[in-house]
Amino acid sequence: MTSADGIRAARERLTAVGSGLRARPRARTVDTFAALLDAWRRPDSRWQQRLVEALPAATGFEPQTVREGLARGLEHWTGDALREVVANELGAIPGEAEGFAQTSLLLAGSIPMPTLTSLMAPLLLHSPVLAKSASRDPVTPCLFAECLREIDPELGAAIEVVRFASGDAATRKAFLDSDCVVATGSDETVAEIRQHVRASARLVTHGHRMSIAVVGPEHAEATALDVALWDQLGCLSPVAAYCETRHAEAFAEALATALKKLERRLPRGGLPTSAAAAIRRERDEAEMRHAAGLDVSIRGDRALRWTVIREADTLWRPAPLYRFVRVHPIDSREHLLQALEPVASHLAGISSELPEHDLPLPGAPRICKPGSLQTPPLAWHHDGQPLLAPLAR
Amino acid sequence: MSDPQRRSIDERVRAWMRDGWEEDDERFGALALEIFGFQFEHCLPYRRFCQAREARPDSLGDWREIPAVPAGAFKEVALRSFPSERTRKTFRTSGTSGARRGELHLDTLDLYEASLLPPIRRFLFPELAEGQRCRILVMASSPDEAPDSSLSHMFGCMLAELGTPDSGFSLQPVGLLQAAQEPIALCGTALACAHLLDSISPLQLPRGSRVMETGGFKGRRREIDRHTLYASIEEKLGVPAARIVNQYGMTELGSQFYDSVLREPDRARRKLAPPWARVRLVDPHSGREALPGEPGIITIHDLANTGSIAAIQTADLGRANRDGGFEVLGRQPGAEERGCSIAADLMLGA
Repeated sequence: MTSADGIRAARERLTAVGSGLRARPRARTVDTFAALLDAWRRPDSRWQQRLVEALPAATGFEPQTVREGLARGLEHWTGDALREVVANELGAIPGEAEGFAQTSLLLAGSIPMPTLTSLMAPLLLHSPVLAKSASRDPVTPCLFAECLREIDPELGAAIEVVRFASGDAATRKAFLDSDCVVATGSDETVAEIRQHVRASARLVTHGHRMSIAVVGPEHAEATALDVALWDQLGCLSPVAAYCETRHAEAFAEALATALKKLERRLPRGGLPTSAAAAIRRERDEAEMRHAAGLDVSIRGDRALRWTVIREADTLWRPAPLYRFVRVHPIDSREHLLQALEPVASHLAGISSELPEHDLPLPGAPRICKPGSLQTPPLAWHHDGQPLLAPLAR
Repeated sequence: MSDPQRRSIDERVRAWMRDGWEEDDERFGALALEIFGFQFEHCLPYRRFCQAREARPDSLGDWREIPAVPAGAFKEVALRSFPSERTRKTFRTSGTSGARRGELHLDTLDLYEASLLPPIRRFLFPELAEGQRCRILVMASSPDEAPDSSLSHMFGCMLAELGTPDSGFSLQPVGLLQAAQEPIALCGTALACAHLLDSISPLQLPRGSRVMETGGFKGRRREIDRHTLYASIEEKLGVPAARIVNQYGMTELGSQFYDSVLREPDRARRKLAPPWARVRLVDPHSGREALPGEPGIITIHDLANTGSIAAIQTADLGRANRDGGFEVLGRQPGAEERGCSIAADLMLGA
């Protein structure tokens, strides 16, 4: 664990490398990260292999899930894709876009993909990064920093990874004493952080989001894959599927079969007791609705490894995650839009074959083919925000 | 209430409440199975729920096998074991506008009210002799202002039975607290306590005062842990943690559960149940009884719930205490450590 003094010492080291970093040609930095991405995405990448070895113990994911999640997630994150993102985003900013003197980055969750882009973004703007690793993933940021030091020692010196308990007020204060802070978390967490950030500082926040599927029975296997990857814990994991009323039951049956089959190849990881309680509770509540005469069907295994509940309506109900999907029947596009109204602004992605203009939703969620929710392009605007522009001075 | 079997059951449960605090496993088991039989027969959704689990009155030999209904089901299904036209009172769970609210329908308040007072006397006012009263200030709406609030109703019963004439409801009790000369019982939700503490300069309530707080901060933007709340109560009101009692209860239940600290000051703080209610901790992974000390779903069997369903599976996790009783761990301990989709429940207003 890092102390407040440790944070201050890390800041001094970052300050020392800051001026040299700012004098670097951007193209060299982009080349470094392009090389890093290419090194990470190769099927025989030792960095991927090390994540597969270390992440399960820290996150609870099974190694197969980590391996497949990384392979799919990194597939299109090429060096060229990065160059395109930089050109598109920073090319639109007049003059030479610069980052802040330092960026404090509060990482969250257990999925490595957003951690990689979050760490890269300030450095692409030549802003040294002080990163607090998430309690569930202490592995990815350290591995990223190690790789960076190996490829480009100058850039590698511009990242410091720290860990401290969220209740440690003195250390948190030292950590947030920065002119740019990036944080991911619930509304409450973000509001709390805001209180401790300097009024003049840039605060970039990413709220919690979720995804859905608008699909038919032919998309059951693809939807099951979107659900199973990262055990449904990501904001791009679908928590609910909408299906034409006449196909809803068939879709639910096919989805259940696909999840059951997938469990053999991508077994679900550890299930926290609170999640097990939530799954059991939601199953029991669905059974009670069924017992009360509502047309609800419940499918799931005894070990709580997967659950599919075909609801009779489009009411939003709790989403326990860990491969728990509700299937809602819809009669028309208007019915769908009406059903999504309460959550539309919280949607990160929608898997659907429907054209984008058929799903005009606030927040502009990413719309993609079923089976590709977990493979967003590097240029994906998380929370509707570009990757680099919010971090430029 | 016209059903003779129900009348007979209610009379026997009420008799137990009158008898005093007598633990009796055999009496509990026999009544629980009889009530299950009655509710199985008179509440169709519950009967179907039990049948799907192959649980019938003639197939069960132990009250622990009686299927428990998830508390959330009260939001969507009317779970009553009497004809709907006999409904005399409906209590609703709290909730923001637009959110679904759970409903407890009652055809009589007799047993419900009878179940409220013995635990209050025993755990909140253990030193009060029969007939003695205490000044009680309640930071909540009165039953007239909130007729569908079971909490307000409970406070109303408490005031009528145990409060002095200068007791009452007050959402802004600062002046009353500052002027207090005699010991006070200050009651309210944890959120009401937190708001009071924000607006009050430190004072010393008369020696012998106590605080009873209930409920959490679920669905609120503000969240403070109980340890911080108690430290703040001690600092601002001069009431030590040893005289602060948490009540664990819910609209769907008649009987409530209180901290043991005033009753048993020399033993560990834990929640204790009245003899006519039992608490089981169910391991959510296996569906079986949780091992002692391990977290489990708090599942309550309350014989006072004759008109609805007696066996309720709460949304909370808890842990059995080695001294008997249990502690509440909350709905999702450690939830923030999960993935980035965790706030879905909050966003959905569930």
